[in-house]
Amino acid sequence: MTVTIQELPGTRRVEHVMGLPIVVDVRDDDEAGPALDRLFDWLRWVDATFSTFKENSEISRINRGELRRDDAHLDVRRVLDRCDQLRDETRGYFDMRAPDGSIDPAGLVKGWAIDRTAAILDDAGLRNYAVSGGGDMRVLGRPVPELTWRVGIQHPLDRQQVAAVVEATDLAIATSGAYARGDHVWNPHSGLPPSGVLSVTIVGPELGTADAYATAAFAMGPERGPQWTARLAGYEAMTILADETVFKTGGFPDE
Amino acid sequence: MRKSIIVLITVAALALPVVDATAATLTTTSKKIVVSKRFTGSVASVDRWGSLRVTIVVRKTTTITGTKKKVTRKITAVSVPVYPNHTDRSIYINQTALPILKAETLRAQSANINMVSGATDSSDAFAQSLQSAILKAKRS
Repeated sequence: MTVTIQELPGTRRVEHVMGLPIVVDVRDDDEAGPALDRLFDWLRWVDATFSTFKENSEISRINRGELRRDDAHLDVRRVLDRCDQLRDETRGYFDMRAPDGSIDPAGLVKGWAIDRTAAILDDAGLRNYAVSGGGDMRVLGRPVPELTWRVGIQHPLDRQQVAAVVEATDLAIATSGAYARGDHVWNPHSGLPPSGVLSVTIVGPELGTADAYATAAFAMGPERGPQWTARLAGYEAMTILADETVFKTGGFPDE
Repeated sequence: MRKSIIVLITVAALALPVVDATAATLTTTSKKIVVSKRFTGSVASVDRWGSLRVTIVVRKTTTITGTKKKVTRKITAVSVPVYPNHTDRSIYINQTALPILKAETLRAQSANINMVSGATDSSDAFAQSLQSAILKAKRS
């Protein structure tokens, strides 16, 4: 058996940042090296600034009371403000606040950071790329001129299968689930992990928002979650329930 | 709303020959040089479950016709010599996920799927290690 990868156009780079492998796959023939350098430098700055695992990050300093939120970096203020908005938009299901009052905006930061990396690539004149971090991604343009990007949505019960394939030329795709890292999403209202939902995939223009919506819809559970996603403006959703029922919103762009 | 599960990927058996031979053929009009080399990816960590590393064998064919030179590369084998293997969870990954992951990787290369969206797991470590092996191959 021989599989051909011969001479894919463009440039690919993978680095481990923010606890995740970040895959950048640029298919333009243009020189992408300097833009990729800027992109990964910027992600490392995001990690140093936002990580609650780093003692000197601005978030850690805010949590220790050493830095006032109003005095934080503009990007920190923007992210925290957006987290507050998202808490309202999601009826409190997306919440950066832990029960002890500390904040951790990580649920937004990864997607927001990848959105910004897309802007870096755009500014460099690149028009065909995918940026993925831990299974959430932005895609733009085409992998090769005659094809669109095809993103498989992993089947949460059977990992050799995909549950859907999304085709896109300009889209953010985020999937939230309990199957890979254990119950890392919980219902902030009950303090318990949700039951009955295996995964929620949200697609739309911004990855930060899509990721937060996916987290929230997952936490809402099998009754409210799919209904809530059906009313999102500009975003489409696919929810897979424990009984293998799949709910997709009307415009979900799978084939 | 529809009630459906769409099953798209079937598992492909991975019976891959490892090609180590170096062959060269010469004709009067063009010259073809075939070289197979092994490339090892970086060790990628799988969260708290350990590390894995991917090795690929790439066959590089250089065809020289007059002053024109064409280079093509094909992956002829994928293997995972370093597996995460120190918790029950890792054993689960080894027994089920990795053989499947290989199939997914090869399928993605056949242009059917470019990316996979899902919750974070060893697939990322696999992709990361594979990617670094491919990058090394492309630079050779």
